[in-house]
Order: sequence, then C-alpha cells, then structure tokens
Amino acid sequence: MDYDLGDDAGALRSRLRELISTHMPADFLGACTDDPRDLAATEAFCKLLADEGLLALAWPKEHGGGGGSVWQQTVLREEMWAQHEPRGPQYMGVNWVGPALMRYGTAEQKAKHLSAIAAGDVTWCQGFSEPEAGSDLASLRTRAVPDGDGWRITGQKVWTSYALMASWCVLAACTDPDAPKPKRLTLFLIPMDRPGFTVRPIASMLGPHHLNEMFLDDVAAYPEDVLGEVGDGWRVMREALAFERVGIARYARCESLLDRLAAELGDDWGRLPESLRARWVKALVDLRVARLLAYRAVSLQDDPSAGAAASAARIATTTCDQQVAELLFDALGPTALDSGVSAPLHGAIEDHWRYAQAATVASGTIEVQKMLVSREELGEHR
Amino acid sequence: MRTELPQDISDFAEVAAARLARLGGPPAARLAETDHAVRDAARTALAEVGAFDLDVRSEADDLLAAAVLCQAAGATVLPYPLVEELLAVDGARLALVNPDAPRIDHGDLPGDWVAADLDGNRYRPRPASRTAAKLGPFLVPAFLGPPEGTVPARDINLHLVLGSWRILGAMQQSLQIVTDHVRARVQFGKPLADFQAVKFAVADAAVAVRGLHELAKFSVARPESTPLEVCSADALVLRLKAADTARQVLRTSHQLLGALGFCDESDISVLDRHTQPLIRLPLGADALALRLIPDVPAGALETLFSRPVPA
Repeated sequence: MDYDLGDDAGALRSRLRELISTHMPADFLGACTDDPRDLAATEAFCKLLADEGLLALAWPKEHGGGGGSVWQQTVLREEMWAQHEPRGPQYMGVNWVGPALMRYGTAEQKAKHLSAIAAGDVTWCQGFSEPEAGSDLASLRTRAVPDGDGWRITGQKVWTSYALMASWCVLAACTDPDAPKPKRLTLFLIPMDRPGFTVRPIASMLGPHHLNEMFLDDVAAYPEDVLGEVGDGWRVMREALAFERVGIARYARCESLLDRLAAELGDDWGRLPESLRARWVKALVDLRVARLLAYRAVSLQDDPSAGAAASAARIATTTCDQQVAELLFDALGPTALDSGVSAPLHGAIEDHWRYAQAATVASGTIEVQKMLVSREELGEHR
Repeated sequence: MRTELPQDISDFAEVAAARLARLGGPPAARLAETDHAVRDAARTALAEVGAFDLDVRSEADDLLAAAVLCQAAGATVLPYPLVEELLAVDGARLALVNPDAPRIDHGDLPGDWVAADLDGNRYRPRPASRTAAKLGPFLVPAFLGPPEGTVPARDINLHLVLGSWRILGAMQQSLQIVTDHVRARVQFGKPLADFQAVKFAVADAAVAVRGLHELAKFSVARPESTPLEVCSADALVLRLKAADTARQVLRTSHQLLGALGFCDESDISVLDRHTQPLIRLPLGADALALRLIPDVPAGALETLFSRPVPA
C-alpha cells in the first residue's frame, strides 16, 4: 500500500496555492455572487490555468489536456475547492462535460467543444432536474418532439446552476415517452442563445447563480446536437456522471476553513471550550476518513467492481461538510452570522454554512447514496 | 497511490481467517469464558499461522500481516491477547492500561506481563482474579505500583493501531451478521431489508465500517520517515474512529437483531461483550479526542493544510 499522491503532488499543490494567492482576490468566495468581478476573476484564472496546462490537467494531450494522472486531478480538485473554486462554473465542463464528449461525442462535436473547454473559453450548465424529476431523473417530462430531421424541445428545467453564466447546456429531454424508462431520454448540446430558451434566477439562501429555472419553448434541436445515440441519454447521463461520481472535494474546504480559523484565533483557540475543541478533533478525524474514502473511490474509478465506493465517499464528505459548518459557527459565536468582507475570514464561514445546507441534496441526495450503499451491502443487484 | 493490501498479505489474511474460524468463532469465545482449553487452542492456532514469528516493530510486511491477523482475530472474537503478545517485551506480554483503573484483558493467563500507559510509563503489573463480568469477561483488575522506566512511544502506537484492526474485524463481522439477519427475517410479509429505515441504518453502519477500514490501512502504511508525533496522533485518531464506529455498529446491530441480539448464544452478544475492553480501554472515544486536542495546534494531527512537523 502506498498513500503517496505521487512525486509531483507536493509541487503541484504548492504551485496551485501560489497561483491562487497571487491571482485571486483575498476575499474571493466563488463566482456565484452579485459582483460580476468575481465571475471575471474566475474567467481570467481559467485562462491562466489553461496557459499553464493545468485547467484540463487530467485530459489526454490530444484533446488539449495535460495528460496528468487521476491523482494530480485529485490534488487540483482539492486545492480548487479549498479556495472557493477559482475555476468558477468552468469546473463542470472540465470535470464531466469534456470527458463525456471524449467518450460519446462525434468528431465534429469534439473538435468544436473540447479545445474551447480546455482553453477556458466556455461555461456549461446541466439541464437535468425538473419540477417533477429530481432524484428520479428518468421520469423527466421535457419533450423533444420530432420536427423534420430534428426536434422541437419544450419543457421546464429547475435548480440549474450557472444557467445565466453559461453559453452551452447539456440538456436531457424525452424523445420517446412510450419507450421503457431507460430508453426515453436523449442528451442534446444546445447553445444557450438559441431562440426559445429563457432563464430565470431563483433567489435562495445559497446565494445568486446557484439556482435557476430554465423554460424551453419550442427550442430547435438538430441531429448534430445529440450527444451519444437518440434514446440512449439515460445511459450516457449515468456513465458521464460517473466521471464526477466522487464529487467535489468538500473535505478540502472544511480542512482549509478549520485551519484558517485556527490561525485567525491564534492563542484564543486554546481558550475555546474544551467540548468544542474535542468536536474540532472529531471533525478532523471524520474529514481524514472522508478524504481516504474519496481516494478509495478514485483508485477504483476504472474498476467495474467499484460498486458503491463513490457513494460511501459522498455520504462521508457531505455529512462532514454540515458537521464542520456547525462547528465553525459555534466556534465563532456571536459573529457567526456576519457576512461580507468585514466578517470573520471575509465571510467565508457564513458562506460555507449556507452552501453546506445543500451538500446532502445536490448532485444526488444522501438518501439515494444510502440506497446505493445498502443495495450493495445487502447483495441487491438491480 | 495504492489503497489495496498487497496480494501476499491478502492471501495470508485469507489463510489466517480460515484457521482462526476453525476454532469456532463467537460460540467458542463464549465457551472460553468457562473452559480454559479454548484459549490454549487459540494460542495454538495463532502459532500455526506464524503469529509469533512476526516482527511487527521493524518489518513493514510483518506489521501488515499482523494487522490482518488482528482483523481476523476480531472477526472471530479470538479469546486471546494477540496484540499484547505480538508486542511482548522480553517475553512479557505488553498491556496498555489506564493507571486510574488498571485492567488487563486475559490478565489471568499464565505468563509475565508488562503494562504501559498512553504516556509510555512502564509498570510491573500484578493481575488479580477475573470477576465474572458480562462485559469484558476476561478482564482482570491489576495493581500497578510506581512507574519503572518507559516503553517506546512506537510500541504504544502499534498497540493502539493493531487493537484498532481487531475492532475493525469485529465490526465487519457484526455488519455481516446484521445484513444476513435483515435479509432472512420476514416481518409484515417482507424481509426487514426491504424497509427503507433498515436500509438506511445498514448504509450508515457500512459507511462507518468502510471508513474505518480505509483509515486502518492508511495508518498501518505510514512511511518510516513520518515524524513520531504524527504517528502518535495517527494511532490515537485510528483508535478514536474505531471506538466511535464500534459504538455505532453495535448499536445498529442490537437494534436490527432485536431481542435475539441480547441472548448469550447470539454471536452479536459475544462480539459486543468481548470487544468492549478494546472500545473502552485504556481510553474511550471522548477521552481520546481530548488527548488529541494539543495535536491540532501542533500540527501533529495532519490535514491538507497543517504545517509540516519536523521529522
């Protein structure tokens, strides 16, 4: 056994930290704010990463990537999330849209999209969830009705992150409502400025841009927009999301925030109630376990027997996210609810607490993850 | 990064588990409470798989082999102080004790004992007699006397780590018993496993056990260059997670097995009662957390962002 992330992992980590501290504002809390300068900062940072060969680090070189290892990708994922994801919404294009295009895209689609993603030129969003189809995605109702060689798409999507920032959308729509569930859906790659697309932001406690609704009114789709085969969207969606099944490295931000708060408190850390410092210890233990479960899932990502390893990692990580959010608030006491640059850690803790509320809901609820783990433990194969 | 045990260690684990299982598992452990011959047979089985030839202090492969052997011992509730004998000092078994209330598991066995506390103080213990306790039936109160020198911190760490592997084996076995039970037991016309509340309880326990397994592998595979303070924190971290996981998994086990799980002849009952000394001694989870507090500002409890501790 060997838990070393590789000879160059340390250097990569240092380089990423240096780039972030040099090029990102000290009070940066992610692209999802009301200040357009934050989104601009992420766009500039993505260009910088692309120039250094770090944006699409783990992609094959033929597609404009760095040809790096999954462990380098793991370091990148940890360092980016720890510092509030300075890639902004572009991480989605790099992490799963691009890999899905490599596997299922046509030569034309690859030529059109992959180099743009690797260069940091484009933001994608994911049009999956609907008012009546959350965890049960196969039941979605947005219809793609045949029209000449192509389709006309009508329906509603909801909870779509970054929809107002994105120029492209991976859209799931029902092409055959009479087919068995796994054969009803098709994935389309649609530019957001195509006529018939309307995006409305949904105000939420998570902050701006996290949640939007999208209305599709007779949006045209063409055969060259289809990702994979017509009617094979459910399989493509499931396999494509497997590229991201280990999820974002929430444990890294938790460890970062705990470290930053301890540094800010200095000697006062030792004056926190003993019960709170014991919780701090337990949180660090749980975070280490979550990180190791994530590493286990990454190490098995090409293994068909991997089973529910990623679900176990997600359960551990998302639970930690909320546990640490409460711990940080309790450690701050009366200033916990303060937000903005004058708040502790420039509002990073208040921001973390709000966003952590979604940890066990976003990208597959914790209930679904528990079902997957229990099925494997109980020997149920469906 | 390789998160799998080496193949030769996995092969050894399989052989060791089969040999220890032949002793009879939890029912044999229960019998050992009244029949001393069972513990002799346990030692014979350990000797047959080469347990006492393992050099856990200086051979990395031997340590891995010892870890999976302890895991098998935990799963079979082996009634023998394996960790204590693997870490024997000059032929005397090494017991890890809490000086506030010294107890030695299997302290009534013939042979010499050395005791140490978590600070590394060494004692010459005088074990008393067994007390017919339900929880930890082989526990023996001991009189310590004043400290006589020290035991290396590395020995203390190995003791905590290998004991945690025993807990891991016990919890993996508990989870297996639970999943077997909820698939077989029919209530309201369907297996318990079909109830979502049961599925979620199984999932929560499974994630805890999987996490403990990953942490146990990580902790036993730390490179030699790791600073001692970090190794000491690692050992405490693992034991804390092991104790916490045990509390959760055993609670889930009892709940899902119902009254059956409390019966003396139930394997869960034996697993629970016989594993309690490892879960509680020398310190329980909360006390271990308090002990780890100074390691946070010192950086010995490593995170992705802690400052390196000098080697």
